[in-house]
Amino acid sequence: MKTAADMVHGEKGIINNIDGSHPSSRRILEIGFTPGQEIELINKSIFNDPLAFALRGTLIAIRKNEAACIILS
Amino acid sequence: MNDVISKTFLITLVGPPNSGKTTLFNYLSGQNFKTVNYPGATVEYSVCKLLGRFNLDASIVDSPGIISLIPNSPDEKVAVDALYNHPRLGSPDLIIATVDASQISRHLFLVKQLIEAGFNVLVALTMTDMLLKKGFTLNEKELSEKLGCLVVKVDGRSGFGVNTLISESLNAIENPRFYNKRKPLLFEENVNKNWLIDIYNEIEEIEKKVLHKVISPGKIEAVNRKLKIFSNPAVANHNNSIDNTTLKIDRLLLHKYWGLLFFFIIMAATFTSIFWLAQPLMHLIDQLFGFLAQTVHNAIGEHWIGDLLSNGIINGMGSVLIFIPQITILFLILGFLEDTGYLARGAMLIDKPLSKIGLNGKSFVPMLSGFACAIPAMMAARTITNKKERFLTIFIIPLMSCSARIPVYLLLIAFLLPFNKAWIGGIILAVIYIMSIVSSVVIAAIINKFSSRIIKATDDSSFILELPSYRVPKLRVVFTNTYYSVRMYLRKAGPIIFFLSIIIWGLTYFPDSSPKTDTSGMSKDEISQVVNAERLSGSYAAYLGKAIQPVMSPIGMDWRVGVSLISAFAAREVFVSSLALIFKVTGNERSLQTSIVDAMKKAEIGSTGQKLFTPATIFGLIVFFMFSLQCLSTVAVSRKETGSWRIPILQIIIFTSLGYFFTFLTVNGLRAFGIN
Repeated sequence: MKTAADMVHGEKGIINNIDGSHPSSRRILEIGFTPGQEIELINKSIFNDPLAFALRGTLIAIRKNEAACIILS
Repeated sequence: MNDVISKTFLITLVGPPNSGKTTLFNYLSGQNFKTVNYPGATVEYSVCKLLGRFNLDASIVDSPGIISLIPNSPDEKVAVDALYNHPRLGSPDLIIATVDASQISRHLFLVKQLIEAGFNVLVALTMTDMLLKKGFTLNEKELSEKLGCLVVKVDGRSGFGVNTLISESLNAIENPRFYNKRKPLLFEENVNKNWLIDIYNEIEEIEKKVLHKVISPGKIEAVNRKLKIFSNPAVANHNNSIDNTTLKIDRLLLHKYWGLLFFFIIMAATFTSIFWLAQPLMHLIDQLFGFLAQTVHNAIGEHWIGDLLSNGIINGMGSVLIFIPQITILFLILGFLEDTGYLARGAMLIDKPLSKIGLNGKSFVPMLSGFACAIPAMMAARTITNKKERFLTIFIIPLMSCSARIPVYLLLIAFLLPFNKAWIGGIILAVIYIMSIVSSVVIAAIINKFSSRIIKATDDSSFILELPSYRVPKLRVVFTNTYYSVRMYLRKAGPIIFFLSIIIWGLTYFPDSSPKTDTSGMSKDEISQVVNAERLSGSYAAYLGKAIQPVMSPIGMDWRVGVSLISAFAAREVFVSSLALIFKVTGNERSLQTSIVDAMKKAEIGSTGQKLFTPATIFGLIVFFMFSLQCLSTVAVSRKETGSWRIPILQIIIFTSLGYFFTFLTVNGLRAFGIN
């Protein structure tokens, strides 16, 4: 099962689902990471965490463990 | 029309961060607003009367930025609950929801929730120019129909559309076309995630219908070329692209390695400008107040009223205003970095290392501000949504070497150095700063280990931050925001520092025993000097100082240093002027610093012939100032920002005993190695 945390620099992916067991999952959904959306990994900070994704025409930085609840199709 | 309205309406501004909400609020209030805490909470809101020229009797509340009506932290809960029923102002007659037109696919989320909850909502569509730059226009009539609420395009920076916004607001309040006056629904915290997804699906449908690509006749060819790229028609009507400039800049500024280098360069530049640009201005303020105090003192003569006016009140005002240059420059730079969009990136770059010690990427701005002054720094910690991380940030801020310590360090370093080796002083100062960062990191890490006992909060750590598109900062916006931040500092910290200065003055002046020394044959200046010194050595402060003599002896110091350390609780730099007073120094002939250093070199402990100030005790004092929490204004702000006495009291106990302990180690350690 591939998640947004496994993406490499510049890779695009379509969100399949959000793992609801993660404590940040609701916030992740609320900020716009919803199933069917295309995301692109734009930048990784040093130590590969946090990650910056292009989503809905803007850049959103989230921690790697939070990206791990975004399941890609 | 105006006289028909008998009631003051309540309009609340709601919107996600970066949606132009506060800019609009500033325009509506004419920058004349009050910032108030929600009762019993550390969350703030601003409230104002709508400007008279808008002809609508209404109070406007600027609520904290939220992205959803379902709160994620206790602080957000306070903000969300206040939307439904404001603890002081009641329930709103109208909610103006700000939406960034270039971000509608995310910003309409909150609007949909507000409408679904049953609020009377009016959408203020901001940043339509950004949308146009991306090649789209938006039809607000269509959006209004699809959403089921009024939509008005505004620009809070220029005031465009604000008159329409107000007339439509009145319209929405008096003839609520879309609003059925039921009590708004409160959403459960364990909401079904499919509901959230459904809201987004509806928004995507709306977006497809209301966004229109701009096709200018001259650019048809270019557009055609673009349309070929957007071969999928569903994508063509979306606004999913990020502007290229932002992506290009981020390739450098968010680069894995270069990004960190740029981060450190930008931070170093910020630092040096805080100090170098502010120094001459601070010197000027210092001299101005010194001159004023002297003039007043001379005019009134030797009387306690004259002394209260000059040494108490005027110097007290001076000790508040002396920080204005640094705080202004700090807020200007932070304002520029924020308005360009860089601050969010800085927070992202530094999040990982800070999260290791229980802090958050968002802690870095408050920590940086702490090098100017802990008071605005603690206020800046409000942006950290996680309570535990926010409290830990506030906890370690007093360890940042604030500007009030600079005069103290400069004096102490001057004592250590021969005249021709000034550059060594620079190195010592740099070491002090690095040590202050290291110690704050270590202490944060230790406290994080025991955090459940020291900081009582259990939110899940999270870092979700929008990185806004880069743009050229608007000078006017940065300047006005700086002005309000500085004004807030003056209002919050000013009275405390001022009041404490007068108390310390009283302690060092009274009971005002008359001198017993023979003053015959002395000049007028010498007499006043002797009188001052005698008064201080008989004062309540000296009494206190002597009471703590047993504490001072183990660290190689006597009651005179004790008195100065007590005075330093008003503001740390008072230590210098207090030493000057105790060692009977006046700055008439040479610079004050050289005179104090000379007097310090002559000072002995009692009549033992043993020198009071040695390199060992001086290093000890430096260490003491690095750790101990001596600033009562910081304590007051810490109390206010954490909502209880728990954290400030722990800060005083932990930092001051650490300071004492390390001073003890330094002094006795150096002595053991033969450095005395």
